[in-house]
This record gives sequence, C-alpha cells and structure tokens, in this order.
Amino acid sequence: MTGYPWPIETTRLDNGLRVVVSEDRTAPVVCVNLWYDVGSRHEPVGQTGFAHLFEHLMFEGSQHVAKTEHMRLVQGNGGSLNATTNPDRTNYFETMPAEHLELALWLEADRMGGLVPALTQETLDNQREVVKNERRQRYENVPYGDAWLRLLALLYPEGHPYHHATIGSMEDLNAAGLDTFKAFHQQYYAPNNAVLTVAGDASPETVFALAEKYFGLLEPVPSIPPAPHGHLPGPATSPVRETVTAAVPAPRIYLSHRTHPFGSAGYDAITVLAAVLGNGRGSRLYQRLADGARIAQPDYIGSYGVDLAHAPAPLIITATAKDGVPIETLEQGLSDVIGSLVTEPVTEEELSRAKALLTTAWWRQVSTVGGRADTLSRYATQFGDAGAAAYRLPQWLAVTADDVTDAAKYALKPESRVTLTYLPAEEPENGENA
Amino acid sequence: MTLIATRPDSGEPRPYTFPDLQRVTVGGGTVIGAHLPGQALATAMLLLDAGAARETAGREGTATVLAKSLEEGTQKRDSAAYAIALESLGAELSPALDWDNFRVGVSAPVPQLLDAVRLAAEAVRTPRLDPADVTRVRDDEVTALRMDWAQPGPRADAALRADLFGAGERFGRPMHGDPTSVAAVTVDDVAAFHQAWLRRPGVLLVAGDLSTLDLKALGEAAFAGTGGEPLAAEPPLTFTTRPERRILLVDRPGSVQSTLRLGHRSPERATPDYVSMTLAATVLGGAFTSRLNHLIREVKGYTYGIRGSYAMSRRFGRFEVAAGVQTAVTVPAIVDTLGEIARTQEDGVTEDELAVARSWRAGQLSVEMQTPGSIVGALSTLVVHGLPDDYYPSLRTQYLEATLADVSAASARHLHPHGLTLVVEGDAAVIRDELVAAQIGEVVDAEI
Repeated sequence: MTGYPWPIETTRLDNGLRVVVSEDRTAPVVCVNLWYDVGSRHEPVGQTGFAHLFEHLMFEGSQHVAKTEHMRLVQGNGGSLNATTNPDRTNYFETMPAEHLELALWLEADRMGGLVPALTQETLDNQREVVKNERRQRYENVPYGDAWLRLLALLYPEGHPYHHATIGSMEDLNAAGLDTFKAFHQQYYAPNNAVLTVAGDASPETVFALAEKYFGLLEPVPSIPPAPHGHLPGPATSPVRETVTAAVPAPRIYLSHRTHPFGSAGYDAITVLAAVLGNGRGSRLYQRLADGARIAQPDYIGSYGVDLAHAPAPLIITATAKDGVPIETLEQGLSDVIGSLVTEPVTEEELSRAKALLTTAWWRQVSTVGGRADTLSRYATQFGDAGAAAYRLPQWLAVTADDVTDAAKYALKPESRVTLTYLPAEEPENGENA
Repeated sequence: MTLIATRPDSGEPRPYTFPDLQRVTVGGGTVIGAHLPGQALATAMLLLDAGAARETAGREGTATVLAKSLEEGTQKRDSAAYAIALESLGAELSPALDWDNFRVGVSAPVPQLLDAVRLAAEAVRTPRLDPADVTRVRDDEVTALRMDWAQPGPRADAALRADLFGAGERFGRPMHGDPTSVAAVTVDDVAAFHQAWLRRPGVLLVAGDLSTLDLKALGEAAFAGTGGEPLAAEPPLTFTTRPERRILLVDRPGSVQSTLRLGHRSPERATPDYVSMTLAATVLGGAFTSRLNHLIREVKGYTYGIRGSYAMSRRFGRFEVAAGVQTAVTVPAIVDTLGEIARTQEDGVTEDELAVARSWRAGQLSVEMQTPGSIVGALSTLVVHGLPDDYYPSLRTQYLEATLADVSAASARHLHPHGLTLVVEGDAAVIRDELVAAQIGEVVDAEI
C-alpha cells in the first residue's frame, strides 16, 4: 500500500535547487510550491518574528515585479496563493489555472533571486504594522489566544530553537531594521536552500525545462549557517506549571509533552496515540470526560501533535471545564485518562478507529494539487526524499497497541508534563446577555 | 543578469469542465452525483429544507441543538457505539445549519461511503433524542455560545444583524441563536423540529468516483423511512435602505483591536445583478489587491486584513465590510473605508481592476473546486437556488464577459455608503469620544 499513488519525478539544478514534479491531468490546475529551509528556529535572540515578517516582504515586489504586482498577477490570472512560516520552515504556494504555470515560476524565481533591490523602508514599516496587527488579531485579542506562545516557552529551554514563537515579540518587531532583512534574504533565500514542487496539470519535462530557464542562473549561497542545535536529552525531567488569570469565559487546561521529532517511528506512534486519546467522539478523552464524567465541554476537548521535525515535537492535550466543575477535577480527569494509556492497553477497536480517521485525514490532505505539492516539498526538505511521503500512511497503519503504550510510557510521564491553566478573571466582563 | 526580466505570456488555456452529473430518483428523494475519477475520498451531503428560518421565535438555536443531539444515540445504538461505528469508517458527521438548509455532510474513503451514509441517515432520521440528553446538549450549547461570544466578532455580528433586519425578526437574530434563546429551547421544540423537517427525503448530493459508487443504494440509505412533499419556496423579503448612517458601539474593555462590521441590506441570491455585484465587491473588498485591502492594510498598515462582500441567501442579502483594526486607528480606518465605498459607488470600477476580478472569479471555479467537499458545496448551490446543471460553465462565461458598464452600474445601485450601519466592537472608553467627534453618524451603545 502507498500513501502517494501519483507519479513523482525529481531533479536537481546545478545551483542546488531541488525540483519535484507530480503530474496529474485530472483537473486543469497546477500548484507551484516552494519550501525554504528557514523558519523561526533560525532566529537569534532579539530577532524573534523576523522569518515571518520576511515572508510578508516576499509579496511586496521584487526586481521585475512592481509593488502589489505579485498578488495582482496571481489572482488576476485566476489563482489562489499564500505563504506560511513555522518554527521549521517557510513555504510559498500558488494554485493556478494550468496555462499560468510559467508565470508562477517566473514570479517565484524573481523573488528568490531579486528581492533585495526592491526592498524599501516604506514596505518594511508597512508590513511591520500589518504583522503587529496579525499578532493582535490572532494571539492577543482572543481568549486563550496566547496559549501556544506560552507553551513553547514552557516546553523548550531558553536558547532552544523552538523556545520562542514564530510570530515574535512586539519589541523585536519594532527593532527590525532593513539591513537585517536584506542580509536574511541573501543568507537563506538561495536555490540550494529550497525545494520547488509542481503538482497537477504539467509534465516533468516541461517543469524541469522551465525551472532551468527561470531558476537555473541563480547563484547558490555557500555555507548557509544551520539553525541552533535542537538536540534535547529526552523528555523533561521535572514538571512545569503556569496559571494565567485572564478575560477568558471558562477555565481551560493545556497539558503538553515533548515527544519525538516528526518523521520518526516514535512520532508515528504519538500520532496514532493522539488520535486514540483525543480525536473524535469515540476517543478516550471524549468518551470519559465529555460523555462519561461530563466534566469537560464537548466542543473543546482533544489532543494533537504539532508536526515539528527538528527536535522532539509537542503533543498537546486540552479540555475546558463545564460550568461549575472545579479546575482541579478537570486536571485530575485528564491526568487519569492520559495515565490509562499505560494501565489500560489500547484495544484493537480503538486502534482501528484511530487509523481510519488518520487515513481519511491523509487522503484529504492530498486531495488537492496544493496539498500534494506541499507534502512533497516537506518530505524533500526534511528527509531528502519527496517519495518518502508515500510511507507516512503505511507507517501509521503499522503502529501497534504496544507501540502506543511504549510511546505513552516514554513521553507522557507526569514528571515531564507542562500544565498551562487559564482561569477567568474575577469579574466576567460582558457577552453574557443577548 | 541571472533573472529573466520579461514576464512570460500565458500558455494555451485548458478547457473548463465541471464534473459530469448523474441524477437518480429513488425512495421519494433525488440523488445528484458528481463524478471525480481517481479521488480516494468521497463526500455525501444530505440537504434538507430545514434552515434556521423555520425556528420558532424566541427559540432560535433549536435546529443547532438538534444538530448536536443527532449523535447522542439512535434508536439502534447508544452514543458511544454510534461514534465508534462511524469513526471506524474514517468518517465524521458534520451537521450544519444555514438560513436556507439543514445540511448533514459525511466524508469517507470511497469503499466506506455507503456505510457512512447509512449511519448518517440513522442519526438524521431516527435519533434517540432522549430528553435528558437533549437537555444536556442544550445546556452545553449555551456554554459553547458563551465561549464563542467571548471572542471578538459574534456580538458585533449580532448587533449588525439586529439593526439591518430587526431584532424582532428571525433574520434579525443570530443564525445559531444567542445564549438566552438557546437556554429557552425545550426538548419538545427539538423533537418537533425533527418531526416536521428532518423526516422529509430532501436531496442527497454525492461527489466521488462514481465508477464504484452506487447512487441508487446511497439514495435508498438516505431516504429510507421518509415521507412528505417538497416545500414551497417563500418569497424574498422586501427592504428599503436607510437614509442615514448610524454607529453601534459594542463595548469590549481592554480590546487591543476594534472589530468593524459595516453593512446594509441588499438583494437576494436570485437577483439578475448577481454576477456584476460579485465582481464589484471583488474590486472593492474581495481580492487581495482590492481597494479596501490595498488602502487599509497595504498602505496604512491599520489591519491584518479587511474584506467586503455581498452574502446572498434565498430570501435576503446584505453587503458587509469586516475587519479588525488597531484600537488607536479606529476612526481613521473607518473614515478611509467609507471613502473607498463611496468612491466605488460614485465612480464605479476601472477596466484594470475589473480584469483582475473577472479572471480571479473565473479561475477560482477550477482552482477551488478540486475536492469532493468543494464539489458537494457547489452542487448544493445548484439545488438551493434552482440553477441548471450547466450553471458553473455558464457562470464562468458570465464572469469573463461582464462589462465595465454593468459592474459600475451594479456598484452604483447596490452600494449605499450613506445608509450603512457601522458596528464597532472595541474599547468604548478609548474610542467613544473620537467616534462621536468624527460625525460619521449617530453613536449608539448597542444593547448586547
């Protein structure tokens, strides 16, 4: 069985750019996807949020693309586009009607090789404000919105590349200078630090020729500095706890553990474990705490892994208390269910339910050319082999009940646990009445 | 130089196609299937003429409580057994409500779809609806709404809706109700809604590889034990645009952003101006390079994003601009936004802007329609609005052939910058005086 039944062709240009093509003529659309092997884990102290702010600058014009033209050319030719930054990497992608493949490649090449001449103080100042508003909108102005920011700092020690969040701090964003970003581009936005994947209505021969035409003359950057080392000796050895009193509507707990890096056999077991534990109404958490003991709100309970590849990745388990349920009761309930993964071995029924849900999730991820291209770029970037994408689903399906128990024993010990609790501030503000 | 300076021309356009459709009438209902060869997943959606508009006044949220009660056990099995049976197929139920319909969607690998639809039908047609369970689900829903309403947005949305459609009217109340109306929902309300509206056959939409999916069997599963005739469509609401602007201030102490919701009424989905209105709104606030996003985000840096659009259902429509802006620039952001709406209403759009809007909307009909889920969504639009099977190819042509005169005429006719309701949800203590001084419209504290 394979998780990737489409063809994959790869090549490497002389400048080091890896090119992956996955042809599928079903629909007249094509996705161009680029992974740059740079993320917030590369940011030094005082420059948090720079990789992400830089991602914004990549849409503001380049040597032959005027300001605002990038978006106008993609959308104005029918396409959808976006980009994201996380601790590991930065990705850029556009899905276009297939006749605009060459345009998309030209746009990507121009900003890979020609961003710096177009970068202005005005653009930086504008996008800095946009990003600060993104921070306000997504993290500061919503209840529990800063949980991820807090969890990272609790999970990873100071100086670890995952210790700080990708969005960065307002202070660092305010201090961001133009020269730093020019240097950032010259350092990391190099053909030999990127993977280009094209999936959909295009042949490998066409894509390879166009890649050579548009990217082939870009200079590689010698000796790109690696991110600080993410090695950790193992799970944490003493528990950490933080309690936040804030304008939240109900008490909520996040429990988290460092597990294994994404891509490892251990993390495959964690992925299945997370589904057994907290994915769906048939999961242990839902069955025992939302449905059974009825101490957790049914809409806000679950567990999931965050798929980071360069250090042991977090597993996050969360629940929100029902009205009148003491937070201690909820925490004990969560702790008991987590503990049950060791004391009550996972049944075949639980295992097959979890695997069925993961199977659907996998096929959903690769149901679009955009999802496929991003998956192939990930495996090429992180594991050196786009074709390795085909193994993930079979590897999930091969996880045994013992593997899940072992993963729980290794990673979910109470002494390695991060506990982040939100409690409502004394006076509920408003929003209670219609 | 290492870069190629010249922008490439586009290649040969590939022909646009929408999946082949098949129809099967079985068991008193209709199945519409869209063929997606090679897709590993398939999606089915049961579309029932049981939208939020069918709820009793003061009990808004009844259908939402029902939707969440469907998985609390069926006449055949309890909730745990149901969850495990369904999820072991890799499927999850997604019941959803809108103004026009009650939808129950389910996705699964193709070989499992029939069993998944059987289970979906079991929940929809024969839920247990044990009074104790329904009461608990109702109470949980009140809590969930309170959770939701603690975020910026829902209270502003409710204030705008009440102002545009009337707080006493169903369409003037939140689609899913509010914490008070949901708390008033009774077990009998839920059972009655089920009895009246969820036992009719409805329409089953299927998207997937039809070479192995049996539409007749899917329909038999979906329509088993149902009865009743299709319901007559009710006419669109009439409306007038208000002659003056008003500002509704929703207090959110300490908020670092102000959440803006600016809106007015507009025609329903069947309007002959649908295409030109959509393109006008794309130029004003739909595309990334739209007038609003360009000015408010890309030039001024006031926001992470701002959007303007028409939302149109069977019986009504509304124009809305939505954004979150930094608290300190609330008034300048509003003034600039009003300026762009007024400019678009007065002067229309330009040929360059329209060219982007046309191509984008046309291209999205293939770019954003790759998955079984998106195709089922497209099929539901055909059914709900009585559109023909060749609608999408024809819509694509209409977008590409829309003229500047038509689109500018639509923006002149369907934008009302002087009749807007402006809801501002933010830190009232910080922004009130400046809002009043700006003389944009009367400032009223929203009771919400």
